[in-house]
Amino acid sequence: MYQSNLYNQCCRYHGQKVRITCRDGSVHVGEITRVSRDMVWIRPDENLGGYGLGFFGRRGFGLGFGIALGAITGIVLASAFFW
Amino acid sequence: MSNSYLDLLAYFGIGGAHPGGFNLTLSLLEDENIQPVDSVLDIGCGTGQTAAFLAERFHCQVTAVDNHPIMVEKARERFKNRKVSVNAMEGDTQHLDFADNSFDLIIAESVIVFTDISKTLKELSRVLKSDGRMIIIEMIAEQYLTEELQRKVCSLYGIHEVLTEKQWILQLQQAGFTQVDMINTPSEFIQSDITDINQSKNINTDFYDLWEEHNEFILRNRKFIGYRTFSCHLT
Repeated sequence: MYQSNLYNQCCRYHGQKVRITCRDGSVHVGEITRVSRDMVWIRPDENLGGYGLGFFGRRGFGLGFGIALGAITGIVLASAFFW
Repeated sequence: MSNSYLDLLAYFGIGGAHPGGFNLTLSLLEDENIQPVDSVLDIGCGTGQTAAFLAERFHCQVTAVDNHPIMVEKARERFKNRKVSVNAMEGDTQHLDFADNSFDLIIAESVIVFTDISKTLKELSRVLKSDGRMIIIEMIAEQYLTEELQRKVCSLYGIHEVLTEKQWILQLQQAGFTQVDMINTPSEFIQSDITDINQSKNINTDFYDLWEEHNEFILRNRKFIGYRTFSCHLT
């Protein structure tokens, strides 16, 4: 995804729970708390603690953790309606 | 025939993209009595999540068909990665390249509504064995839809019509499915978690706009448009 598109996409999903896939294959799920030109911050759900995100999850509050936009290959809403 | 909504699902590569999601698929199929000799058709297979599950769980002969080349490509990628033997191919639900009486079980998860419903049902009844069964999950009109709403649904999803539950049953019967039963599923149309995704690179922002439009549309019209699961037999 082009970086500018990705930035716009992150802004659009600000405050919503998303699922981010990175170049290394890792997947992060959480609410977008902040977006800058080259980073996006997400706060994982507390109840995803056992999901390998526990370390961040336990912090619970604040911005969560940042992911470089350049590392991201895809971002979608974490849950959605489908036909 | 192009369909932007189906393109969206293909580019985002979302598995279980039907009402109820993959959880509904599991609850419908997990306890089915499917034998290794049975031939199963997953029509409108998408990225192949259900087809892969069938092959892994039951070791049956699975054929997965979709009319979208990107879906078929992603389905093949999945089958290869999971090392399951599934015959994946591009195909048109209205003109299937199979002999009469080919399949013991057919599964369509929110597929038929995107086609000419009566033609597809006739074609599926042709390729189903006379003692076979078909399970379908499809969009329905929960109550009377105004002409405006009907038009909106059709243009948003590229479909021809939204049938009521009764109309679905009638169409199924006319296609030769003499025994049609409804399977009880959660009646409310809820969001499903996206846990299975294979996203294409550089998705046009138009598709994000379309996703948003679709999401807002459903939130506004959930009372009017829902889904049903039908279990269908020819005899």
